[in-house]
Amino acid sequence: MLFSRRLMLGLAMAGSLAGALAVPAMAEGPTEIDLFFPVPVDGKLARDMSTLIKEFNEGHPDIKATAVYTGSYDDTLIKTRASIKAGKPPAAVIMSANFLLDMQIENELTNLDPLIAADGTTKEQFLGQFFPALQGNAVINRSVYGVPFHNSTPLLYINADKAKEAGLDPSKPPQTWAELTDWAKKLTKREGDKVTQWGIAIPCAYDYCGWMMETLTMTNGGRYYNEEFGGEVYYDTPSMLGALTWWNDLVYKHKVHAPGATPGPAVSTSFISGNAAMMMLSTGSLTYVRDNAKFNYKVAFIPRNVRNAVPIGGASLIVPAGLEADKQKAAWTLIKWMTSPEKSAWWSRATGYFAPNMAAYKTPDMVDFLNKNPDAKTAVEQLEVAKPWFATYKTVPVRKTLEDEVMLVLNGKKQPKEALVAAQKAADETLKPYNAETSLKLP
Amino acid sequence: MSLAEPAALPVATSAAPRLHVLKRFVGRFKASLPAYLLLLPSLVFLALFTYGAMGRVIIDALYQRATPKAPVRFVGFDNIAAVLADPAFTGAVVNNLIYAVGTAIPSIGLALLFALALARTSAVSSALRAALFLPVLIPMVAASALFLFIFLPNVGLLDYYIGRLLPVLPNWLGDSDIALYAIMVITIWKNAGYYMLFFLAGLQSVPEDVMEAAHLDGAGPYQRLRHIILPELQPTFLFVTVIAILNAVTQVDHVFVMTKGGPSNATNLVLFYIYQQAVEHYDIGKASAATLLTLAALMGLTALSFRTMANREGGR
Repeated sequence: MLFSRRLMLGLAMAGSLAGALAVPAMAEGPTEIDLFFPVPVDGKLARDMSTLIKEFNEGHPDIKATAVYTGSYDDTLIKTRASIKAGKPPAAVIMSANFLLDMQIENELTNLDPLIAADGTTKEQFLGQFFPALQGNAVINRSVYGVPFHNSTPLLYINADKAKEAGLDPSKPPQTWAELTDWAKKLTKREGDKVTQWGIAIPCAYDYCGWMMETLTMTNGGRYYNEEFGGEVYYDTPSMLGALTWWNDLVYKHKVHAPGATPGPAVSTSFISGNAAMMMLSTGSLTYVRDNAKFNYKVAFIPRNVRNAVPIGGASLIVPAGLEADKQKAAWTLIKWMTSPEKSAWWSRATGYFAPNMAAYKTPDMVDFLNKNPDAKTAVEQLEVAKPWFATYKTVPVRKTLEDEVMLVLNGKKQPKEALVAAQKAADETLKPYNAETSLKLP
Repeated sequence: MSLAEPAALPVATSAAPRLHVLKRFVGRFKASLPAYLLLLPSLVFLALFTYGAMGRVIIDALYQRATPKAPVRFVGFDNIAAVLADPAFTGAVVNNLIYAVGTAIPSIGLALLFALALARTSAVSSALRAALFLPVLIPMVAASALFLFIFLPNVGLLDYYIGRLLPVLPNWLGDSDIALYAIMVITIWKNAGYYMLFFLAGLQSVPEDVMEAAHLDGAGPYQRLRHIILPELQPTFLFVTVIAILNAVTQVDHVFVMTKGGPSNATNLVLFYIYQQAVEHYDIGKASAATLLTLAALMGLTALSFRTMANREGGR
């Protein structure tokens, strides 16, 4: 039969091809490792990353690292989980810092303590290199699971030209909620009912909204979540009620903030185009504002109601669970190299993020850079009052329960109190299985 | 003997009917073996990537773990019950129904209008056809990124022009009352040109002689449309409607890029809900159960439309 012969031939070819693929590469050469990296801000980062990895490979002939671009922070989590499930995890991943706890609960992370001990350093010495604010998201149950790589905090951006126009002094930015409210009122311009210039813009889209709520709650003395235990969030509390009520008042009482939920890019565009005179946004947007603003701008700490405090953002390097020992070792070499003061400082200047390694700010290049760009200095100074990013069991859905309710408030559909009660209830429901096996599992 | 033969036949069949059926089956199988062999390569891939995945979804939908550290265990229909009881799912279904009706009717209406206006080929109509078809060629993700800027509150293209006319500028994607409709506009803009192609093809099959006869009998343009063109286009309508509804369920790129289902789940569609369950909640059981429900609804819809089409064909 004609076809069957042809078919047999085809099958044989397919079979031999599959066989060739299945044979493991008999690696006499360097240890090959993959690094998954997300690009949360813009495309240029991918080029910077390949420069960095190329330099690493040249200096380490026994390791061949490949940087694999994996999309956004969320996509990177999906792809990492998929490859762990498939039994082929990457050797290292740049992971959003608040996903670490959830991954640790799911047994998807390698405990880094033995690797630190093998270097002859103590945990305290190792962590001591980094800003203290960053340690909360890297240490779980007193073990190190992540190494801070690039970080951010929220900042207040002010259009200095508009402030002067309104008779305000941009060299003395608002320090309290009361002063900020006053500034926002003076900076809002109206034509009848129509607002032509908003006093302030605060982003609210999934991810950003939770971070801004944490920011406002912290400056109001609150905590948002239990830093020591992943089963609790503090949504229905006076500190958060005050924060959300103030945000609501900015929109509906003082009418100095546009109604509705506005995503981060819309907020920065609005600020750049002069439609919003002030905004609260990540330090990660500093480079973008510096490059695009056609006016004088000024950055300042997030104003306080009770105290100065902000959450950190950004990403840490992690090593997924289930990796061979040689790859683990190679990954550790790569991670230590990437977080060293020089590389950390270089990456910070290239991207606009903080360098988590404190020694990075003592390198000559960085001292030069900060002298030329004093706005970057303000951002670093705020790290003194920074605190960890919320991380719970199922961080994203728990955060979303709050965000959905905040969006309802900003759209005028709910009052702050009832919104927070509903958010707390939904979050508690999501956290239930974890509590059932931890805090509520009794002898 | 010629009479005896037919009499003997029933006896033989009643003696070994099973063997007979089997023989016939084997015979038929032998005859169609080359056909199956020819189909084998595609069957292998279908099995690997379509049926295999579907089987996996069915299995995953039946398992769940009680707590994060507990092993997965068989829970039967618990996952499906949990999905049906989830207000986010019912909300997504309602949104999806509004979205399906609100995108299918306008885009099909526009497509018909375009097709009727541009049915005759000329240099101008060809250029217009190309222009109307252009949105189809732009990937949904790219289109969404473009519309993100068009919809920017206060400073976007839309507000720049429309802003002078409205007393208060709407926050197109940030207002939970408007966001779903903003998303629908993109779908209509993107799909109308595609459906226009089907109607253009359908219009070719309207018999010339009938049209001429109607013209001679003094039928006006409306009467010709109402009594000749629309009835002739009925199969096209049916087909395009099915495609439009399938698109309404399977195309969520713009939701992903523009709103992530927000604000407050206002633009959450069923497929995006499944993504959220699988990725954000990391709840494979619930995601599979929701997939299964969607799959069942889509298969029901497809079967219904095929039957209607078959009936129509048969009735002719």
